[in-house]
This record gives sequence, structure tokens and C-alpha cells, in this order.
Amino acid sequence: MAQALATLREKFKEQEKEIAALREKVAQLEMSKTPAPRPDVKVTPPTSLTAKSSLSNEDIMRYSRQLLLPEFGVKGQINLSKTSVLVVGCGGLGCPLAQYLAAAGVGRLGLIDYDEVELNNLHRQVLHREENQGQAKALSAASAIKSLNSTVQCCPYQLQLSPENALDLIQQYDIVADCSDNVPTRYLVNDACVLSGKPLVSASALRMEGQLTIYNYKGGPCYRCLYPAPPPPDTVTNCSDGGVLGVVPGIMGCLQALEVFKIASGQGSSLHQQLMMFDAQDARFRSIKLRPRQSDCAVCGQNPSVTKLVDYESFCGSAATDKCRKLNLLSRDQRITVQAYKLMLDKAEPHLLLDVRPLVEVDICSLPFSLNIPLSQLEAKNSDDIHLLRERISHLKHQIAGISQPPVFVICKLGNDSQKAVNILEQMSGLQVDSIIVKDICGGLMAWANIVDPSFPQY
Amino acid sequence: MTARVCVLYFAKSAELTGLKEEEVAAVPTPISSRDLWNLLLQRHPRLQTLQDRVVLAVRQQYVAIGDQVAVTLGDRDEVAVVPPLSGG
Ligand SMILES: [Zn+2]
Repeated sequence: MAQALATLREKFKEQEKEIAALREKVAQLEMSKTPAPRPDVKVTPPTSLTAKSSLSNEDIMRYSRQLLLPEFGVKGQINLSKTSVLVVGCGGLGCPLAQYLAAAGVGRLGLIDYDEVELNNLHRQVLHREENQGQAKALSAASAIKSLNSTVQCCPYQLQLSPENALDLIQQYDIVADCSDNVPTRYLVNDACVLSGKPLVSASALRMEGQLTIYNYKGGPCYRCLYPAPPPPDTVTNCSDGGVLGVVPGIMGCLQALEVFKIASGQGSSLHQQLMMFDAQDARFRSIKLRPRQSDCAVCGQNPSVTKLVDYESFCGSAATDKCRKLNLLSRDQRITVQAYKLMLDKAEPHLLLDVRPLVEVDICSLPFSLNIPLSQLEAKNSDDIHLLRERISHLKHQIAGISQPPVFVICKLGNDSQKAVNILEQMSGLQVDSIIVKDICGGLMAWANIVDPSFPQY
Repeated sequence: MTARVCVLYFAKSAELTGLKEEEVAAVPTPISSRDLWNLLLQRHPRLQTLQDRVVLAVRQQYVAIGDQVAVTLGDRDEVAVVPPLSGG
């Protein structure tokens, strides 16, 4: 026993040394990080597109394979070269869309994104490269586009599209492609397109599904005609917590580019008043015939109540980002920091650590001594899980005879679900399970990785 | 008259019902789109959060949930529940 304890202590010291070294490395790297370029916040009008009446020899060579299509031809190519497209979001949809439109010879591409390239973007945001990490996405996308087709006018905007700048920007373009990743931006882009009379080619993707619709086009509906009310913010799943298979926004962004291409070249979109859905799991497309523009629509109807852009974040009750929100459901004494939890571990205080993430996330990484019961199963009061929890708690109670309420700590990825779970466990305490003291570990495993253990994976 | 229809759930509605598709027998027909939606709500009360934020389609054709217009259903007709996706 003493021997084992000594070995463990030795191991522990080694690990601590390793952590200290890693911390220093992190600090050094952070110091040497070059400052991000200043965001280009003012919107300067780009030079107008010169109307071509014929194609140069180089154009003919470059675009020959699409010039051969009777549906497109020289006229289509010239029309395309006169068209400007504003791409809202240079992520999973915007990258393939901008790539194909640039390759095909669109006149001008406006690329909006306020965000920076991160390693977890690269599986789907295919214009960005490893060396672009930390760079503005708008600039990274623009440089990739320039090296693909230098004849395309490319205007990167490193900014957040907002009610203040949206109309100015959108008015300078012929077609808008919504490649954004959040609900407030979708309403903002819709209203700005209705107010400035621009067709909106809108795609979205999540997990294994995609959708594509053309709004405000040829008497068809706008986004608000279909969805007058925004979804409650806590029911919205985004790519950073729901996940997405990279090829799904890839397919949707390509389809979106195709419809932009058809409108720009003069053929017109085939998805007029249609909602196209893609199910990647079944490899199936479906199209739903939508209703036309609604006369009682708040923005495109006969007596619109929205006549200028409004505050979309307060309309939707959420921020215009796909980053996770931080919930605050508990009082301070119901929560502990990762540092405090670490101290408790060091003192080997008996407790139960409950990890409430879905199994698929536990498979990515977990603390080895944790018990996993996903929040959804706690919410559903799954009897097998309740039974398991009851056994573990009663076991813990025997282990620490004398303490009437054994401590249970709840952890998840970022500290939102764990708070919900604390509330559920408090209701169960003394009823379905022995009486317990439940606390949430603030900031979850990502805080653990950031503050306590840099060798713990982040996702 | 009743019909046996196939209900397809997409995006959030698949998550809320835990189903991608189900057969629903003995759906009265003709039925108003409101009653058809209410029938789905009875089966899956969690769909309530999607009210006014969802496209309901019968035979791949949009039906407005507020409409009193009657929808005629046939056996094996497809009813789709399509909430918007916002990710990208
Ligand atoms: Zn409308």
C-alpha cells in the first residue's frame, strides 16, 4: 500500500513537471503570436464591373469547357462576368461556393466573415490552409480565390454583417448568397435583401442534412414568409455543438453556387419557390413546393411592419455567431471552478464525477474516473441509468460513512448541460437516489483542458 | 374516411421525435392542416417548440399550419415536417 502510494506520488510529480513545461510553452507561443490584422470596418464601394462585349482569347481558353454548353455559351459567360455576388460567411458553405463561382469567372465576389481560421474549420472550409490558422477568414478565402482566378474582382470584408452596414454592402451586389451559420444573420440577410430587392440564394447544413432555397425571387417567399417567428434560442443546434460532416456543406455550397450561376448567366434558378433538402445519410434529395410571397409577411407583405433593419440579436434572443452561449442557471454555491475541483482530486476526497455528455463525445475524450450518463437520459429518467446512479451514490455513501450527503460533481464540454443536470439531480436527491450535494464544474472539460491539464484534448 | 400516411421528420423535428419517419394509420381525411399538425403534436408533444417555425408539407407541397383549408390524404401519402437549418 505504502509502496503503491509512493509510486503514485512519484508519477504525479512527473506529470506536474510535464504540465508546468507545457504551460510555459503555451505562454511562450502566445507571446510570440503576431497580432491579428486590424479589421477592415469601413465599407468602400468597389470599382464597377466593366461590361465586356466579347471574350478574350485567354477567356475562351480558360472557360472553353463551359462555353461549349448550349445552356450557357458565350452569352452566359459574359453575363456571369458582369455579375457581382456577395458571399455572407466564408465557412463550410461559402468556401465551395466562392471557389466554384470564381473558377467559373464571376465578375466580382464580396467575401464577408468576421471570424478567424481555426484548425477545426479545415475539414469543411476548403479554401483555408493549415498556414492560414489565426488569419481572418475573409482574407484567407480572398487569397485562395486570387490564386485560382486572378481575373475575378475579390473584395474581402473582415467584419460582422450588421443592421448598420448590411444595406450599404448588399446594394453593391447583384445576388446575395447566405452562407452564414446563425439565425440572427439569416433574418438580417433576408430583410436586407427584401429591402434592397436582391435575390437571396440561401443554403444551410448541419450534421448530415442540408437545405437550399431562393428567397425574394420572382414572386416567391422570403425567409420570414416561411418562418415568421425565430426559434427559441435554446432549441437551435449549431455546427460547433451538433457537428457536421464536411462534405454536406460542401454539397450544399456547390448546389448554391449552381443556382447563383444560373441566375447570373441569365437562365434563372430552377429552385424558384422550392425548398430543396438533402439527406446525406440516405443519399436522397427532396424538393418541397413552397407557397408564394405572403401578403401579410412582416417584411415583404403589403403592409410591412419591418421597413428598415432592426436589432436581429434581440429579435432572435441570441448572438449572431455559432459559438456556444454560456448559460447561467445556478447560484454560485452550486458551482465550483476546475482549479477547486483539481485541488479536491489532489486531496483524494471521495466523490462521484458525473459526465453528462452524449456517448459520441465521451468516445473522443473523458476523465477516466467519471461516470457517463448523457443529459438526455437523465431528462428522460431512463430507469437503467437511474438505477446505476443510485448504486454508485449508495456505494459512495458507504465509503464515506459519517458524511450524510455524498458530493456529486457534474461535468460536460463547456458547462451548460452540466448546469441543467445539476437541477435535475437536485430534484432526484433524497427521492430516486440518496440525498446528495450536487455541484457543477464551471466551464466543463474545455476549461479543464485550458486551465488544469493542457494535454487534455479540445474539440 | 381515413388514410395511412408516412410522416417524415427532418432536422430538429427528427431530434425531438427520435424518428426520421413513421407510419401513421387512420388519419381522418379530409383534414385541415391545423388538425393534421395537432395530430402530430399529440403523438410528439415536444414538436410544440417548432410551431410557426416549421414547413409542413403534404405530398411535397407546402401547407400552412394556420389554414382551415382541407387537405385530402391518400394511403402512403408523404407528410414532411421540415424545420429550418441554420448552420453552415
Ligand atoms: Zn416575406
